[in-house]
Formats: sequence, C-alpha cells, structure tokens
Amino acid sequence: MSAEPSESATPATPGARSTCSVGRRKLSQFFPVPLSWKSILPFVALAAGWEIASFFSPRYLFPGLGAILTDVWHILTTWDLLYQGLVTWGRLICAVIASLILGIPIGLTMGMSTQADEFVRPIVKFIMGVPALNWVIIVIIWFQNTELRIGFVLLMLCTPITIFCIYDGVRSIDRKLIDMVSSFGASGIQHVRLLLWPYVKTFAFTAAKLNIANAIRTVIVAELVGASAGIGKELDLAKNVFDMAMVLAWTLIMVGMLLVMAKGIEGAERVVLRWRSETRARA
Amino acid sequence: MADSLSSIAKIRVREAYKSFRQANGNEVEAIKGLSFTVAANEYVAIVGPTGAGKSVLLDCILGLKSLDEGSIQINGREVAHYAQVNKGRITRIFQEDRLLPWLSATDNVALGLQIQGVAVQERRERAAQWLEAVGLSNFCNAFPSELSGGMRQRVNIARAFAPNPEVILLDEAFSALDEITAARLRGEFRDLAHQQRMTFLIVTHSIEEAIFLAGRILVFGAPARLVREITVPVNAAADRLKVDQIRDEVRAAIADGVRTK
Repeated sequence: MSAEPSESATPATPGARSTCSVGRRKLSQFFPVPLSWKSILPFVALAAGWEIASFFSPRYLFPGLGAILTDVWHILTTWDLLYQGLVTWGRLICAVIASLILGIPIGLTMGMSTQADEFVRPIVKFIMGVPALNWVIIVIIWFQNTELRIGFVLLMLCTPITIFCIYDGVRSIDRKLIDMVSSFGASGIQHVRLLLWPYVKTFAFTAAKLNIANAIRTVIVAELVGASAGIGKELDLAKNVFDMAMVLAWTLIMVGMLLVMAKGIEGAERVVLRWRSETRARA
Repeated sequence: MADSLSSIAKIRVREAYKSFRQANGNEVEAIKGLSFTVAANEYVAIVGPTGAGKSVLLDCILGLKSLDEGSIQINGREVAHYAQVNKGRITRIFQEDRLLPWLSATDNVALGLQIQGVAVQERRERAAQWLEAVGLSNFCNAFPSELSGGMRQRVNIARAFAPNPEVILLDEAFSALDEITAARLRGEFRDLAHQQRMTFLIVTHSIEEAIFLAGRILVFGAPARLVREITVPVNAAADRLKVDQIRDEVRAAIADGVRTK
C-alpha cells in the first residue's frame, strides 16, 4: 500500500510560522499573554479615570496610581509581604491539585458505574449547595489548625467541580471507541488506562481552570476569617487602617497570580494534549 | 460445500438467534436461526439489506454480545471463552477508523499488541512494519488529526493486522471513503491479505466489493438468516460478464430474502 498524493496529510505543520519582519510584529509577540491594542484600551481608560478621580477624592477612597504601584513594588520587594502572597498561592495550588487527586477517581467511578453515580451524586450535590462562608464557619468550629481549615474549605468547593467535569467526560466518550478497545479483548483496567483516562484528561484541565478561579475567591474569605498568614490577613490589616492603596495593590497581585496560574495550566495542556489540532495551532 | 468445510471450520455459527428490546418495549429480531461455516484461510463476504443484523453478528463473533440461542464457535471453542483467552486473535476493521486521537499512528497500530501485553519495543517494531506495509512509514509519529481519511483507514487496517490474528472481520471497511480511494484501498487490502494466512469475514453493502474480495458470498435476509450461498470463481472480478451475472444473482437473492420475512 502506498499513500498517494491525493491522500496527503492536512497542512498541520506545528513548526511553521509566518515570516513577518520585526517591524511588523504584533504586540502579542512581545507578551506572554496575547494582547492587542483593543484589549488594552479599556484598561488605559479605566486607569485614566481612576487617576482623575484620585485628584478630587481622599486617599482612602481613590488613591493615585503612583501610590498603588508603589505598594505593589513594596510587596514584591519585601520578603515578609511577598511571603504572605506565596502562602496564599501555595494554598491555591495545593487545593487545585488535591481536588484533582480526590475528584478524578470519584468522577471516573461515577461515570463507569450507575450504582456509584446514584449513591455519590446526591452527596456531591449537597456539598455544592453549601455556601463558602458556611464552610468557613463550620471549619472554625471543627478544626484548630489554620491550614486544615483553609484546605478543607477549598477542597469542599473545588472537588465537586472536578467530579462533575470528569463524570461528564466519561459519559461523553464515543461508544464506538469503547467497542473498538473491547474488540481487542481489553480488560476493565486496560479500558481505564488506554481509553478513559487519556480521554478525560481534557476535562481535568477544564476542572483545574474552573477551580483556580473558584478557589482564588474563596481562599481570601477563608484567610480573612481564620488565618494568621496570607493575602486575606494582609487585606484585613489594610482594611483596619483604611489603606486603600495596599488593598488595591494586593488585588492587582492576586489577578496576576490568577493569570500566571492559568498560563501555567495552558502550558501543561499544550504539552499533555498536544494531539489536539487546536492545541498545536495555538502553540 | 458447507458440509466439507464444516469439519475444518474456523468459524461455525449454528442456529443462532438474537433479539433486542427497543426503548418503546418492542422486541426486534436481529438474528433468526442463522447457520453457516467459514473455513480456515477462507474469504467470505456477507451481503444483505440494511438492518439485517450483520454488525450484530460481528459483535457476537467477537464475544462482545451474546446470543439468545444457538452457538458460535471459533476453532471448535465457544466464542465467549475463545475471545477471553485469545486476546487479539480475532480483530475487526471498522467502517469508521475509530483511531484514538491522542495516540500516534504507531501507537494506534500497536494498540492490540499493547492489550495482548507485548513488550514496548517489540510492539513498536511490529507497528512500524505494518505502517510500512500500508505505505505510511513517513507518518509513524503523526496524530490522527494530521492524517487524511484514506490514511486513517490505512492505520485502521494496519491495526487489525498487527496482532497477527487468525480471523479479521471487515465491517463495511471501505464504505466511508470516496469511490476512488475505496477502490485503491480495496486492491491494496487484497494484496496485503493474500500475503497472510488468515480468515476473512467481510460484511459489505457493495456486491462488487464482495465479488472482488471474497471466494464465497453469503446472502442474508432481514433479520439475519442465510438466504443463499454463492461461490465466486477465481478472478471473477476481472470478467465483466461474470460480475454482472453474480450481481444479478445476489440482488435476486436479497429481494427474495426481503420478500420472505
């Protein structure tokens, strides 16, 4: 057999790039995140509006951009403050990883077994229905250890999302692929290893991305109420002295943290899911 | 002929019955009293109307579905037991390629070998040999999304051959391709198949494909039962008159089968 010219491969050439000159490079080529003037312009307008407002308002309401950026620099260059940010970041990463470790096997089991689905689903739905603040109050009564308190809250909020993402992944597998693997006499374990797990990886990445956005909102609330370290505690201190510049500086740093984590996941996604044509096109 | 073959039958289907219950509660018969044999190294085609239970029969031969009544034996052993013990000894070429999108062409071809427990190095070597045999040696590391429809079907064919099976089941293997690619692949498949000592059971809607690939055609009625058995003379596909004669015979048999439900 020979692959004839009419059957040539689709032009998927990962290494191929347009050879435009340096002078005509787009803005996005200089930044790790895709940027364009259209996406920057609203932020420029917002910053300008803020700066104008700062001229006519007290510092505790609208601090100037210079004061906010000075505080950002102060946080990034002062170890004690930077450490607080890293503590929060570490908690977020641990929570997302733990929710994947816990949620993936549960989601897989629910997807494969109707009985397991029927048993676990009501519990997961119940957990999803509990507001984050309720969990914070519950863990303050339950646990003495701060890390345990925050970890538990984050796990309760992130794991159900992972479970349902993985469950949906398992349920969406093409029946024909299952039949194909079965036709070679694959065992149950081989089905999971060769078909289910590679297939649901995509859904695990989706879960991780959703969980980061979810966890970053919750971790601050948990830290604000029950932690002696972290950004939540720093925000509490800034609130007590009406230091709006510091609050906004921490806010900017948190948004930065979110973007860095999302970018990290996208990078991992590009490596792990390199078989997807859209992943190759983005790379 | 069937009697002489039955003593050395590779596949023996005896008084098989299979039915399904639909969502509305109606019982639908897929296989109704089907009996036939296929000898070792024989090429047998199955043709019949849509809904004749041909694909269900292939599922039963692979041990993926069980019969309500009757038996299917491979090498004299009940198929459920045979498929369990002999992984990859019966393989199937599907209508759609059904490649795993996250595996390279090599790893897709090696899938059956991996399930059999063949060591990594050996299965990669054997997969590479089969990719070369189907003309894709330059695409070993390509993912399915980087291959054309014809190329993917070649990988599908190589995947079925790679575990060195005793029986290969073709389930309308060329019907999803355009006519030119299908004709070319059919010819190349026949050349490849003749180099192996394997038994082929070919389910197809194309009477020309059945004449081209098989030595014997089993005409099914709906639900699946044997209506007629037609022997295809050697090189019949090259003789236009012969092809027309067999085609008319098969068409008449299919019409008979539909009439006498």
